[in-house]
Amino acid sequence: MSEASLTHEFQYSSARHQAETAISGMWLFLATEVLFFGALFLTWIYSRHWNQAGFDAGAQQTELAIGTINTVILVVSSFVYSAGVAFIEAGNSRRLIQCCAVAWALGVAFLILKFGIEWRDDFAKHLFPGPGFAVQGPLNGGARIFFVFYFLGTALHGLHMVGGLALVGWIILRARRGEFSPASYTPVIVVGLYWSFVDMVWIVLYPLIYLVGRGP
Amino acid sequence: MTPRFRRLWLTLVLLLVLLAIEFGVSFLPLDPSARPLVLIPAALMVGVVVTMFMEVGRGPEIIRLFAVAALLWLSILLGMGSLDLMTRIEYQVQASYPR
Amino acid sequence: MSDTVIEAPEFAKVTASYLTDGFTLRSWLLTTDHKRIAVLYLGTITIFFFVGGAAAALMRYNLIVPEGMIGSAETYNRLFTMHGVVMVWFFLIPAVPVTLGNFIVPLMIGARDLAFPKLNLISWYLFVFAGLVALYSLFVGGVDTGWTFYTPLTSAYSKGHVVATAVAIIIAGFSSIATGLNFIVTIHRLRAPGMTWYRMPVFLWSLYATSVILVMATPVLAMTLLLLAFERIFHIGVFDPALGGDPLLFQHLFWFYSHPAVYVMILPGFGVISEIIPAFSRKRIFGYKFIVWCSIAIGVISFLVWGHHMFVAGTSLYSALVFSILSYMVAVPSAIKVFNWIGTMHKGFIRFDAPMLYALGFIGLFTMGGLTGLFVAALAADVHLTQTYFVVAHFHYVMVGGMVSAFFAGLHFWWPKITGRMYPEMWGRAGAVIIFIGFNLTFFPQFILGYLGMPRRYHSYPPEFQVLNVLSSAGATILAAGYLLPLGYMTWSLFYGKRASANPWGATGLEWQTSSPPLTENFVTTPTVTEPPYNYPPPEVVQHHV
Repeated sequence: MSEASLTHEFQYSSARHQAETAISGMWLFLATEVLFFGALFLTWIYSRHWNQAGFDAGAQQTELAIGTINTVILVVSSFVYSAGVAFIEAGNSRRLIQCCAVAWALGVAFLILKFGIEWRDDFAKHLFPGPGFAVQGPLNGGARIFFVFYFLGTALHGLHMVGGLALVGWIILRARRGEFSPASYTPVIVVGLYWSFVDMVWIVLYPLIYLVGRGP
Repeated sequence: MTPRFRRLWLTLVLLLVLLAIEFGVSFLPLDPSARPLVLIPAALMVGVVVTMFMEVGRGPEIIRLFAVAALLWLSILLGMGSLDLMTRIEYQVQASYPR
Repeated sequence: MSDTVIEAPEFAKVTASYLTDGFTLRSWLLTTDHKRIAVLYLGTITIFFFVGGAAAALMRYNLIVPEGMIGSAETYNRLFTMHGVVMVWFFLIPAVPVTLGNFIVPLMIGARDLAFPKLNLISWYLFVFAGLVALYSLFVGGVDTGWTFYTPLTSAYSKGHVVATAVAIIIAGFSSIATGLNFIVTIHRLRAPGMTWYRMPVFLWSLYATSVILVMATPVLAMTLLLLAFERIFHIGVFDPALGGDPLLFQHLFWFYSHPAVYVMILPGFGVISEIIPAFSRKRIFGYKFIVWCSIAIGVISFLVWGHHMFVAGTSLYSALVFSILSYMVAVPSAIKVFNWIGTMHKGFIRFDAPMLYALGFIGLFTMGGLTGLFVAALAADVHLTQTYFVVAHFHYVMVGGMVSAFFAGLHFWWPKITGRMYPEMWGRAGAVIIFIGFNLTFFPQFILGYLGMPRRYHSYPPEFQVLNVLSSAGATILAAGYLLPLGYMTWSLFYGKRASANPWGATGLEWQTSSPPLTENFVTTPTVTEPPYNYPPPEVVQHHV
C-alpha cells in the first residue's frame, strides 16, 4: 500500500504527519501522568521522613514474594507487547495478535495476584489502615500512613492497568479485523507507549513499597 | 532472529538482571536514611524501558523533549518540594498548661 | 483638499461561514470545529464570570460597615471561597486559552483545526460537567475554607462541601490538561508551510508557555485534591500531624500547581497585548525574540517560586530564602515585556480604539500589580503584609486589572473575526475607561488597608478602616457597571452591529487573511508564510496627517 493512498484527517498533511502527531500526543500525556504520580511520590518522601520507624515497620508487613512476581510479570508483559509491535512492523499481524493476547493475559494475572490474593491477605492480616489496624503502639502512626500509601498507590496503578487492558483489548479486536499493516499501525505503538508506562509506574512503586523499608 | 528481536530479548534479560540486583541490594545493611538508594536500579530499569521498549530515540524529535521535560519537572517537584522538609529545624515543644 | 468623504463600505453578508454551517443543536453540541467550541466555551465562562462577580458584589456589600452588612461570618466565608474557586478555575484559568486560543490558534498558524479536535470537544464537556458539580456544591451551601483549601480546616473541621468542590476542580483540571496538550501538539506539528518558530506571532508563544504549565502543573493538583478528599473522608493522616502527617505537605503540593496557575492566567494576556500593541501602533513589535523567550522563561521559572505563598507557614528559613530569590527572578521577564511593549509604541502611529485602551490600561495596572508582587516576595516585608488586603490588592491588580482587561482587549480585537460584526466603538471605549476608573477605585484603597493591617477573609473590621472600605465598595459598583456594559453592547452587535471586513484593523497575522467570520475549514487553500510577524511598514513610511 503506497503512502499516498493512506487516508488521514483533514488537518494533517499526510498519514505520516498524523501518525507522528498521535505518538507525540501520547508522550505528552504520559508526561502529565509522571507529574500525577510524582505528587504521590512526594507524599511518600514526607510520610517516611516524619515516621521512618513505623513506615518501614509497615513495609515489612508486605508480601515480598507476590510483589516481586508481579514485577516480573509486568516487565515480561511489556516485553511481549513490544515484540508484538516489532511483529506488525515486519508485517506479521497474526503474531501481533498473539503477543497482545499474552501481554493482556499477563496483565490480568497481575491484577488477580494483586487484588485477588495480595489485597485479600492484607485485609485478613488487618493491614487496612482503619479501626483494628494490626500494628499498634509507637509504630502505629507510621505503619498506618505506609499502608495508606500502599493501598492508594496500588489502587491508582490498578485503575491505570484496567485502562491499559481495555486499550490492549481494543488493539486485539482491530488487529483481528485486519486493520493493521506495516504501513499503518500507529495505534499499536500508541497503546504500547501507555502499556510500558504503566509498567514503569510499577517499577518505581515496587521498591517504594516492598524494598526500601525492608532490611536485614 | 532479526536484530530487532535480539535487542528486545537482551532488554528483557537486562531488566530482569537489574531487578535481581535491586532485590539483592535491598538486603544490604543500609542506614535507614540511605535505604532509598535501593531505588537506583529501579531508575535504571525505567531508563531501559523508555529507550528500548518505548523507543524514545526513534520517532519525531519532540517526544525526546517531552520525556526530558517530564524528568525535569519531576525533579523540581521532588527536589524543591523536599528542600523545606530537609532543612526544617524541629523545635522540641515544652507543653505547659495553666492549671 | 477635496470635500469627498470616504465612507467605509457596508460589507455584504458572508453567505457561508462556520456559523452558518449547520443550525441544529446537534451541529453545535457535537461539533469538532475549534471555532464553534470556542463560542461554546465563551458562553460558559461568561456565565461563571457573573456567578463569581455576584459573589464579589455581595462581599463588597458586606464590607460597607465595620460589623459586616450580612452579619454572618460563615456566609461571608462561603462567599469569598466561592468567589475564589469560580473566578480561578472557572473563569481566569480557562478564559483566554479556551475562547480566544481555541478560535485563533489554528487560524494564526494556518491550520484547518487543532491537532485533536475530538479531544477539544471532550474538554468542553468536562468543563461543563465540572461547572455543574461546582454549581451543585454552591447551591447546597458552598464551602467556607477559602479557595486555597488549607488543611486542617478542610480535612478536619470545615462543615462545608469540600469534597464536592474538590471533585469539580479535579474535573475542570482534566479539561485544562486536554486543552494544553492540544495546543502544544498543534503548535509543534500543524504550522503552515514557511511558518518557522520565529515567524509565529507572540500570542502563539504565550499560549505554548501557558500550555506547558497546564500540562505539568494540573496533574499535581488532581493528586493533591484526591489526597485531600481521602484525608477528609477517611482521615488517612497524610496531612494530620496527630496521625504522622504534615500539613505543609498539602501547601507544598497545592502551591506547586497554584503558583504556576497564576501564570496560566496572565501569560495568555501577555500574548493578547503583544498582538494588540503592534496592530494599534502600526509598528513591528520591539524585541520580538526577547518577548517570546521571556514567555518561555516565565513558564519555566514559575514552577520554582511556589514557596513564597508559605513564608509564614513554618517552612525552613533556608527554603524561604531560595524561593524569595527565585521570585525576584521571575519578575524580570515580565518587566522586559513591559519595556518592549512601550518600545513598540514609541514612534508608532497610535490609535485609541477600544482594544488599545484596554491594552494601555493593562500595561499600567499590570505594572502596579507586578511591582507590588515584589513587595510581598521580600521575606521581611511579607511577614507584615501576608494575609492582609495588600496581597488581595496585589493579585487583583495583576489578575483583574491585568488579565481581565487583556481578555476584554482580545475579545474586542477579535470580535469582528469571531462574529463578523463590529461592536459599537464609542461604547467600547466608554467601557474600557469605566473599568479602568472603577478598578482603581476598588483596589487601590486595599493596598493602603493592607499596609495598615486589615486582614483578608474577615467579614468585619475595625471602624477606622471604614472610609477606605466604602471607597472600595463604591469602586466595585462602577467596575460592575463597566463589566455589564460589554455584555449589553456586544450582544447588541451580534444582531445590529456593522458587518466586518476580513481585516478591519489592518493588522498582520494569518487570521486576518481569511473572511470574517471564517469558513469552517478556515482557509480555502493552506497559506504559505514568507514574512516575519508584525510586518508593518517602517514608521518613516507612514505619513501622519494632522
